[in-house]
Amino acid sequence: MKIYTGGGDRGKTGLFSGERVAKCNLQVETYGDVDELNSTLGSLSAALPEGWTDIDGQLRLVQADLFHIGAWLAITPAARTNATLEEFTAERVLFLEKTIDAMEEQLPALSAFILPGGHASAAAAHVSRAVCRRAERRVVALMEQSDAKKLPASWQQLLRYLNRLSDYLFVLARFCNHRTGVEEPLWKP
Amino acid sequence: MNQQIYSGKLLQRSHLSADTIELAISRPRQFTFQPGQRIRLLDRFQERDYSLVNAPADRSLRLCIRLVPKGRFSTKLRAAAIGSCFEFTGPHGHFVLRPSGRPAVFVATGTGAAPFASMARAGERGFTMLHGVRSAEGLLYSDLFRTAAGAYVACISGKTSPAARMFGGRVTAYMEQKLAPGVYDFYLCGRSDMVRDVIWLIDERFPNSRVYTEIFF
Ligand SMILES: Cc1cc2nc3c(=O)[nH]c(=O)nc-3n(C[C@H](O)[C@H](O)[C@H](O)COP(=O)(O)OP(=O)(O)OC[C@H]3O[C@@H](n4cnc5c(N)ncnc54)[C@H](O)[C@@H]3O)c2cc1C
Repeated sequence: MKIYTGGGDRGKTGLFSGERVAKCNLQVETYGDVDELNSTLGSLSAALPEGWTDIDGQLRLVQADLFHIGAWLAITPAARTNATLEEFTAERVLFLEKTIDAMEEQLPALSAFILPGGHASAAAAHVSRAVCRRAERRVVALMEQSDAKKLPASWQQLLRYLNRLSDYLFVLARFCNHRTGVEEPLWKP
Repeated sequence: MNQQIYSGKLLQRSHLSADTIELAISRPRQFTFQPGQRIRLLDRFQERDYSLVNAPADRSLRLCIRLVPKGRFSTKLRAAAIGSCFEFTGPHGHFVLRPSGRPAVFVATGTGAAPFASMARAGERGFTMLHGVRSAEGLLYSDLFRTAAGAYVACISGKTSPAARMFGGRVTAYMEQKLAPGVYDFYLCGRSDMVRDVIWLIDERFPNSRVYTEIFF
């Protein structure tokens, strides 16, 4: 299948809901951040030690969720319902919460601030976490500029999801250091 | 993505033109779709997407297929025995009508008319349909579109002079010369270079319009 048309060569792009907008439009920036986040998860997955199929499986599910989120962010709230796009539901947030809880059970309590780093996979998880926070901030900006009464329910849920995903990535970073036996770099003020 | 694999029997094959066939495939009972969506036919080595041309309520599924010279898949479809089984997944895609107060303009090249045929068969009326083909022989479902469309324009880009009530030139030329300025919902389907050229034209001449696209190749 052909992946380029050249339709976007003049600085505009099409939203999923049909509008033609400048490529620096906030909505485009926002799903661009989600795309960047998704790509960092690919690097993170490549940095996982051999045989970590449990974490790799989780990351793939998150990547699929981010694809879904990207599609929702490419719809203007005014377009309201989309006949072919599945709702993004609270069930996905629950999935993250369960996963976070399961990892945390195995981790020592936090005694100090930790610095982003350690094993390559942990360091990668921190990069993803920071990108995730940026994506979340953009979603908030997007919601602020939209008519609150028209916000799709899926947007509310994906915002919760991104918030929880940063927590997941923080815990995952710690988990990666813990499981590989690499010491967590602590902040020494 | 709908990954469930369905199986359907080839019921019928007919020629719509010298190089385009229509296949009827039996419809699995649980299979539903919206006009404009497509299925993915699978065989052991490859898979190809085809838009459905029937209405959702019809008893069989219909595909309109260009016989691409040396095309790996379409050549097989041309030769497949009636009664043989196809596996497919679907429905796929988001190229469906999104009703709004704006007038809808459908722009197709070649077999790109397929999703619009399904929409028209499902009862859509009043749209403007521009169908770009090289010669009038390539026009598909013209009776259907003539009945359903508010305006149906065959755009003949080849050298033969167009018959009465047809437009001589590409769909983009028609849009530049004849389509009244305004804000529309454009649905574009077919070749990628048509989609690109039409999008540029829309950005220039029909700002604030909505654009939905489905690219075949
Ligand atoms: C979303 C989507 C929907 C599609 N719907 C349809 C449809 O409803 N009907 C249909 O005939 N095809 C449709 N196609 C194209 C179809 O999937 C195949 O690509 C096509 O049948 C050629 O496959 P092949 O193996 O015979 O050719 P290949 O050996 O793969 O050769 C591919 C070449 O064939 C040419 N080609 C492909 N499709 C067409 C076409 N429709 N008309 C003219 N030339 C073409 C192009 O030059 C392309 O590079 C669709 C494609 C996509 C991505």
